[in-house]
Amino acid sequence: MGRGYIVEDSVEGYLSKMCEAGAGPVTGVLIGQSSGQRDFVVTATRTPQREESAGAAGSSLDKEWVTEHARQVSRMLPGGLSVLGVFIISDADPKDMLISLRQLVFAVENLISKDRLWAAADDDITDRIALHVNSKTRKAVCRSLDVRDPKSTAKPADWRYQSGVCSCWATVSCCLEVDLLLALPENRTSIESMEKCLKDGLKAWAHQVEDGVCLIDGKKLPADTELTAGQKRNVRQTFTAQLLLTPDGQRLADGAQQCGGSVSLRGAIHSRAYLHSNKPKVNLAEKLLKRDVVSTVAVRVQMLLEELLTEEEGKGNSKEKHWAEQLSLPRRVLCPVKGHGPVCVCDYQFSDEGLAEVTDRLKEMLDLDAAEQDLDTRQELAAEPADSSGPTEPSVETVQEPKRNTYTGVAMATAAALLATAASLLYLQDD
Amino acid sequence: MIVQSDSSEPGTILRVRGPLEFKCQLDSTVGSHIQKVISRTFETLRSRVKSESLVFTVCDSPVVVWPNRGKQETLYASPEEITPNTLCKDLQQWIKTDEQESSSKKNAKSKSKKIPTASVINLHLMMEVTKPGPLPALTLNRTVQKHHFLRTTLPMDCVVHTTCNDTIGVACERLLEELLHQLCEMEKVSLQHMKGTTLQVPEPLHFLLPESKGLVTVVYPAGVPDSQLEAHRKELHQRFELPEDRPYFRRANVYRFPNETYRDGYLRNPHLAVTHPSLENGKLYLVQGIYSYHHYMQDRMDDNGWGCAYRSLQTICSWFQQQGYTERPVPTHKEIQQALVDVGDKQGSFVGSRQWIGSIEVQAVLNQLLSVTSKIMFVSQGSELASKGRELANHFITEGTPVMIGGGVLAHTILGVAWSETTGQIRYLILDPHYTGSEDLQVITDKGWCGWKGPDFWDQTAYYNLCLPQRPKTI
Repeated sequence: MGRGYIVEDSVEGYLSKMCEAGAGPVTGVLIGQSSGQRDFVVTATRTPQREESAGAAGSSLDKEWVTEHARQVSRMLPGGLSVLGVFIISDADPKDMLISLRQLVFAVENLISKDRLWAAADDDITDRIALHVNSKTRKAVCRSLDVRDPKSTAKPADWRYQSGVCSCWATVSCCLEVDLLLALPENRTSIESMEKCLKDGLKAWAHQVEDGVCLIDGKKLPADTELTAGQKRNVRQTFTAQLLLTPDGQRLADGAQQCGGSVSLRGAIHSRAYLHSNKPKVNLAEKLLKRDVVSTVAVRVQMLLEELLTEEEGKGNSKEKHWAEQLSLPRRVLCPVKGHGPVCVCDYQFSDEGLAEVTDRLKEMLDLDAAEQDLDTRQELAAEPADSSGPTEPSVETVQEPKRNTYTGVAMATAAALLATAASLLYLQDD
Repeated sequence: MIVQSDSSEPGTILRVRGPLEFKCQLDSTVGSHIQKVISRTFETLRSRVKSESLVFTVCDSPVVVWPNRGKQETLYASPEEITPNTLCKDLQQWIKTDEQESSSKKNAKSKSKKIPTASVINLHLMMEVTKPGPLPALTLNRTVQKHHFLRTTLPMDCVVHTTCNDTIGVACERLLEELLHQLCEMEKVSLQHMKGTTLQVPEPLHFLLPESKGLVTVVYPAGVPDSQLEAHRKELHQRFELPEDRPYFRRANVYRFPNETYRDGYLRNPHLAVTHPSLENGKLYLVQGIYSYHHYMQDRMDDNGWGCAYRSLQTICSWFQQQGYTERPVPTHKEIQQALVDVGDKQGSFVGSRQWIGSIEVQAVLNQLLSVTSKIMFVSQGSELASKGRELANHFITEGTPVMIGGGVLAHTILGVAWSETTGQIRYLILDPHYTGSEDLQVITDKGWCGWKGPDFWDQTAYYNLCLPQRPKTI
């Protein structure tokens, strides 16, 4: 049995528009939510142009570029939305494009799931979309691939347009405080070491979140309960969640560890997840919200580390034996997608950036035209400089706020290249 | 904290458990600095317990309580029907116990004579991490400075006993007081047993004291064995006015809550499920404390026909272990035989054989392995046992240990006597090690493998030796 994708009307118009442009094949990603037997595609966004090859007849698809774009896009999606697949618009035969599509679908999935801190669940849908649109006939041929099996065959899938797909989707959200204190190993206080430390600490915290108790609108409901039961069908609903955590009961070594320093992560995040309107259950809401909680923290930490790695390392490893620095992580800014019900996408705004940078990125990554006044900046306040209420800290040497590189296609390439370098650095260091 | 337990009105016990994370940075290894930091960290934990983010969730139910929230009823608990004025016993209706219900009905018949015990409501200690927003976003602080990082989790475990009129509001207030008190006790124990930068995790344990003194919670340092905590126990005995010749506060004496089953597969105190006889002017004199039932074919050891005395000895050893007199696990047949070789009572070839043992050997093994002395009572013929009522009654009053009796070709365990001083009538509560079946309480009591026997149970002409183990005078 093939999968059936229910697609927002606006996606048809978007894909058509790109058929008209007719300058070589166009790639992009499809965004939506998978559930049970039905899948919903909410929006699509084309891969941005690479500056060096602008205008050139890019007949060979740049796999790395497409996957890097997909990764950036997935960071901008709140809970309940994910990259569901890849599309290619070209005048070639759909059969010829299948190999490229298959490569892209698997590459995108592998890159996005690599940094995930939460474990895959048994009821996760592992089918992804491989869509080809013929630029001459505008005909869309949709197939699905099971990304658990690299040898799986592409199965034909239904691709059906519908209006108002997400007009009545429900929203679950919360504001959650994070308070992590991690030890840095002795003699290794570099950024790479901090990165590993943070990754391990966040992984443990992600387990706590996964095991935590979730209340919806103040109630602890059985997992199978329908969230929207007893409500009118065409009413858009919002729910507030509360999360109760308990520390990992496992006792670590009772002796003290010798450390070279510490890293703490404190503050709050706004988390949200969208749920399709086809009788969603409480356990789905809980799963999607918890995943968003973990992702949004992990993404911001990654962004901060990416920034730090692009700056000169020398500043960090000063000759001083004791020093401290405080860094602000970017705050989450939401942007409604016009005509898509309650659904918003998001971006992260560093403290030295203005909203113009945010709208620029929304345009470049998600092909979204948004004005500054459309943005919802009320969910998170700017990070506060902390007063040392924690353990005694030596005099603060530098209060650093990383400068965000203004995003252009080139900058993204630099980031991608440097990430590759950083990754190889991690391998070279003996940990 | 002392918890009154009145056996006529069992009430409800509320037990809250949960880990609290203990984290601190030690910038120097100087003792006084360490003490200051540890105390400060405990102070931080006490503030956390008093914060509005503290939550009690009731296990197996949708009930959640925020005990530090003001008494505005809508914010205090979920579901909304629960308010600070709800009675504790009314919480039971929210708790899902489908499996427990059906199995307890099965045992209800056999345990019908058991003293009614309080029911237990288990709660989890958790922290709410969500708050109404918006709030300031994340900051990351990095410091580079050599230090020691100490991290562990404290296993909080507090108990309060409530009567039928107590409300949740009152019970939760008392639980909070208990939590704060427990943190203070943990701080004391941590500082006392700290070695350099190594922290012994303070572990709370509950003990049920006799004579309606109720449940008492004591904090012990986890890594320190009982043998090193005698001073602590002495202080406790004095505080609670307990005799100083028998243990009440060894780790083995820890109270087992009704829902905590033994996982080793042995039955405990099957005699409690037996209907006791009533003799004219007669009284019951029974074994005190807890023992396990050991019998033929257990532990995949086929000792059918020769191992009865060994099994009786195992039952006795299990008694000493569970009363806290020894940490040594119940010995195997081989270990028993080896002990006899070690004291010179048997040749080396004895080990691995199927030779019988008698009361004298039982006495020798108890002495060798557990340092327990025993009295031997000799009876020249079985019919004389009927006249030993007073001695046996006295034994169960003062020592209360199970008695091994060997004679004829059989060995048994005597768990008590029913004896009338005026009429001289006597019955013996027998635990029979010759049973070869599975640990089925119904079968064991119905078929008399654990049950009351009359004087005609004994071979009237054979001679018998009884081994009466004596409690060591220790705490």
